[in-house]
Amino acid sequence: MEFIIAPLIISILTGILAAIISITDKIVNNYGEITISINNGKKEIKIDGGENLLTTLSSKEIYLPSACGGRGSCGACKCKVTSDVGEYLPTEIPYLTKEEMKENIRLGCQIKLKKDISIEIPDSLFNVKKYEAVVEKIVDVTHDIKEVLFNLGNEEINFTAGMYMQLCIPPYDKIKNETQRAYSISSKPSDKHHIELLIRLVPGGIATTWVHTYLKEGDKVKLIGPFGEFEATPTNSTMICVAGGSGMAPFKSMLYHMYENNINDREIWYFFGARTKKDLFYLEELAELQEKWPNFHFVPALSEPEGEEWKGESGLITDVLDRYLKTIINSGYKEGYLCGSPGMINACNNVMTANGIKLENIYYDKFA
Amino acid sequence: MKLSPKYEKAMANMQVGIISAQGFLGDEEINLVDIINRDENEFNKLGLKFDEVAKKLKYLLEKGQKGLGEPITVDERWLVQVYEAKGKMPCPFEDYMAQKSVVTLTDKNTNHKLMYTDLSIHLIEKHHFLEGKGSTFRLEPKILKKILY
Repeated sequence: MEFIIAPLIISILTGILAAIISITDKIVNNYGEITISINNGKKEIKIDGGENLLTTLSSKEIYLPSACGGRGSCGACKCKVTSDVGEYLPTEIPYLTKEEMKENIRLGCQIKLKKDISIEIPDSLFNVKKYEAVVEKIVDVTHDIKEVLFNLGNEEINFTAGMYMQLCIPPYDKIKNETQRAYSISSKPSDKHHIELLIRLVPGGIATTWVHTYLKEGDKVKLIGPFGEFEATPTNSTMICVAGGSGMAPFKSMLYHMYENNINDREIWYFFGARTKKDLFYLEELAELQEKWPNFHFVPALSEPEGEEWKGESGLITDVLDRYLKTIINSGYKEGYLCGSPGMINACNNVMTANGIKLENIYYDKFA
Repeated sequence: MKLSPKYEKAMANMQVGIISAQGFLGDEEINLVDIINRDENEFNKLGLKFDEVAKKLKYLLEKGQKGLGEPITVDERWLVQVYEAKGKMPCPFEDYMAQKSVVTLTDKNTNHKLMYTDLSIHLIEKHHFLEGKGSTFRLEPKILKKILY
């Protein structure tokens, strides 16, 4: 009899304990209904508190940029909070500048909603939507870059050349949670039913491994966007564009958009860096564009041609850029346009500013 | 063996989906201290030193960064490619914020390859942790010796 009573008592006690924890959790973490006021009351959302701001907004189809899916490791989901939400958390501080902290910029994924809150976000984020797309075509443009075309079906997307999308990566293999990564759009804004992305394989990368190993034509995927403020300014200044690898994407979109819309009266220099010939792509298309568009100059450069037959420029792209800025493009008002890693952006910023281009006239993808 | 609070917290941070989607422990069924002890023994057997290995990996990372995202030959022996992303990655021991950089290192003579991150260098130098077997960024001592020396 004791064999039955002892486990029974333990089970009952465990049950009571679980019930107490559950009730306590509901009482302690029950923040009731709260209001999120966006852009001085332009939009108001009423929702049960308790979740973080990023997740809560996305549940109401308002999407802040996020390249890590809310894990607090990308620092992309910044927004201005104009009401009191407490002190900055240690998890936010590494991603914010002093200026941003003075402006009450916070990370959406780190703010737990416990009471009414007022925030300010760019109006352009109201144009951001989640799209259910089908993979129409996948092309290997190099040994490690895929051009992926997504069909949005009946949905339409409006974006500016230079913007980016967030691709939702479903759980696969050992990856248990959905995550998101940002990629610049390489297609033209005039094609409102497709989105094309260039995705380079990053060894060990969750998203790029999925795209390169698992994704196939006909698959259904989710895309969120468009995001970003990277775009050609409406001036006549000379555009100095620099990219490497999948950094080609926003420039492909910008160049074909400008050509298609006869925005062809400004000088454009496009420097594209790669190591060897096998890392280059779209050479024929861009050479063809160059022939039709006298103001457009494409300068591919190889850093290590390694005995290949190569008649183009050689050297690191920053060295080639420096040479051109000193000798060939050495006059007139210029703007810099960059797409690449933080290190590439820093290096190009240094070369451009040393050659008279003001830092405030150098534009780049801030998500990179 | 019961882990000290420091290692218990670090091991919790290393689980799948906490700091990184893939976690740091791979398929290991032993605890963090046992993983570190095993790899310290392996390093000793091979005559490797953690601070020297970390220094070499850091040197190659810094040289590779000059490629601005493209592969670059370093010291005529290694092909190094550094992929950088915006953002930071906290150390599971909560004592460092690493840049998000992935380095692929190829010995051009033998074609042996390895892959590591900015955080790997810190984990090796400060914690003697090479990640668990089966983890994406696990650094096997034997492979480190083959490629770096």
